[in-house]
Amino acid sequence: MTPASMPLFHFFDQCLLRAASLVVPARRRAEWRREWQSELWHVRRTCAPGGCISWAAEQQVMSFCLGAFQDALCLRSQGMQMRLPRPTKQGTAVQCFFALVGVLFACYAMALLLPGVRAERDLMVGQVNPGLVMIQNAGYSDGLSPSIRPKQYRTWKGRKQQYFDGFAFYRVESDSVIQDSASASSNASGWGVAHASANLFVLLGLPLRYADSDRDAGDSLPSLILSEAMWTREFAANPHVTGSVVRVGNRTARIAGVAPNGFWKLPGKVDAWLLEPEPESAAGAGYVVAHLTPAGEAEMWTQCVHITAYGPDDSEDDLLGVSIEDYRPGPWSIYLFALLLALLALPAITSVSLGESSVSPQRTSWSRRLNRWSFLCVKVALLLPIVYFASLDMAYAFTTPYSNASAYIQLAATFGMCLFGLRWVLRDQRQRCPVCLRLVEHPAQVGQASRTFLAWNGTELMCMDGHTLLHVPGIPTSWFGAQRWLYLDTSWDFLFAGPGVGIESGEAIG
Amino acid sequence: MARETKSADAKLSHTAALILHAVDAGFVYGFGIMEMTGLPSGTVYPAMRRLERDELIRSHWERQSIADAEQRPPRKYYKLTPAGKTTLEASRKRYPLLERLIPSEEARSV
Repeated sequence: MTPASMPLFHFFDQCLLRAASLVVPARRRAEWRREWQSELWHVRRTCAPGGCISWAAEQQVMSFCLGAFQDALCLRSQGMQMRLPRPTKQGTAVQCFFALVGVLFACYAMALLLPGVRAERDLMVGQVNPGLVMIQNAGYSDGLSPSIRPKQYRTWKGRKQQYFDGFAFYRVESDSVIQDSASASSNASGWGVAHASANLFVLLGLPLRYADSDRDAGDSLPSLILSEAMWTREFAANPHVTGSVVRVGNRTARIAGVAPNGFWKLPGKVDAWLLEPEPESAAGAGYVVAHLTPAGEAEMWTQCVHITAYGPDDSEDDLLGVSIEDYRPGPWSIYLFALLLALLALPAITSVSLGESSVSPQRTSWSRRLNRWSFLCVKVALLLPIVYFASLDMAYAFTTPYSNASAYIQLAATFGMCLFGLRWVLRDQRQRCPVCLRLVEHPAQVGQASRTFLAWNGTELMCMDGHTLLHVPGIPTSWFGAQRWLYLDTSWDFLFAGPGVGIESGEAIG
Repeated sequence: MARETKSADAKLSHTAALILHAVDAGFVYGFGIMEMTGLPSGTVYPAMRRLERDELIRSHWERQSIADAEQRPPRKYYKLTPAGKTTLEASRKRYPLLERLIPSEEARSV
């Protein structure tokens, strides 16, 4: 054996001790390693005095180091016994996680059950074709009033357009619908009927249920599309209703299909759509939907754009083109907007600090910090869908779908729940032991408020696993402005030892 | 108090009694006890952990200045607690040969 091999053996012994130290509970690891390093130094000096190197001496040193594993296992088993018996998982990170998951499932299940939420989900699924705008008179900024005359529509449709390659017109009237079939539960009522150009559904790209694909091409009767609600109410959801002839006002039409619930995002409460080749000139104002060409889409870089069009008498019309995708914000858009508002408002109601300051920062290892941050991220990740589904439940539990009231309720509910939910997440995180992520307990008032500038006063909380003490100042001062964690060393273990730990009579030691 | 009573009544194994006796005899650190008793490190240190847990011995670190003066790392020393002394007395009656195996500090100094 050569002197050059000595550092190699020394390194190997160190590796053994380091590996054994991984078994030791983290709180006792540093002291344990210090003791074994010290003992190893003396063992090496005794076994190899004066730096003499021999195989037998190295064997002795190595066998000494191997004993460290038994010692480490002993300490580990002691650490397990020293833990306080926990009657419940109260306050632990696991309990918090499962509670949040439970709430999330409850909110989601309720969202599945509420018909209003289901209708909104259908609305989200039934997306219209991209590149569609609703054209309206610039003077009607609310977008809900009909503002385009049929004459204007026909003029635009007849001209070659640079920015549009398709137009559709509709206007909503109240009409009586008379149906001769015995399947109808009632045969006359005031329906909201949209008198629309024949290409409306094609332009919007909306699918029809029970569409009449066998219809004779020579059939001159206009088509009537029923809304699902009306089809269910007036026709008892009869799937064979397609092809039936009904009278709409003073016109005869043939039912051509059923429009699924929730797809209609455009203005006007419509029970049925009467598709006609051309709108009547004498009819009142209505709405125009247009499809943008690529050049038009390039110009449409906001959700609303001003349009100047020439009317039938070459007069200039000042119009607005509003993207249909943004025409009526869906629940998801409302949710994102409210979430953004809540994030902006959050610093106003709570500190966004996590209270990580500690008097012994070397004790917060990167793995503990990673755990802490992971737990925070999981809580936020669970909170956000909870808020989404809960806000949907609240918005659509008692209101009709697609109403403005439900949108406002969802906005307010999302904002409130996001704001106070995130506040809870941060406050909860500040009150969790950085070592075990358990909520600290047993608050105790320390000091006197009248002596704020002479001595510390505030609240002291304790981790029931014996890892930390949390000091929260009663009044933040320049020298103690934020909460601090005090990490407890092993000398505190006896305070947290369970009642069953100790020598039982008759128990053999060693 | 209940703990001290239990400690005094506790029955030590021969190994634990041997180590306790070695500590009482002035072998106050792990390697010294190993040398005196001939027990391996994997036996001595775990036994000392249990004795310390049961408050029969207690440990303290040597002052850094002393270790620095002798150019070596500081050691962790062990000493008997009052409960340990009581238990040792009881175990000496159970294992009368202990005193012959490890002479006391006074005997060695003579």
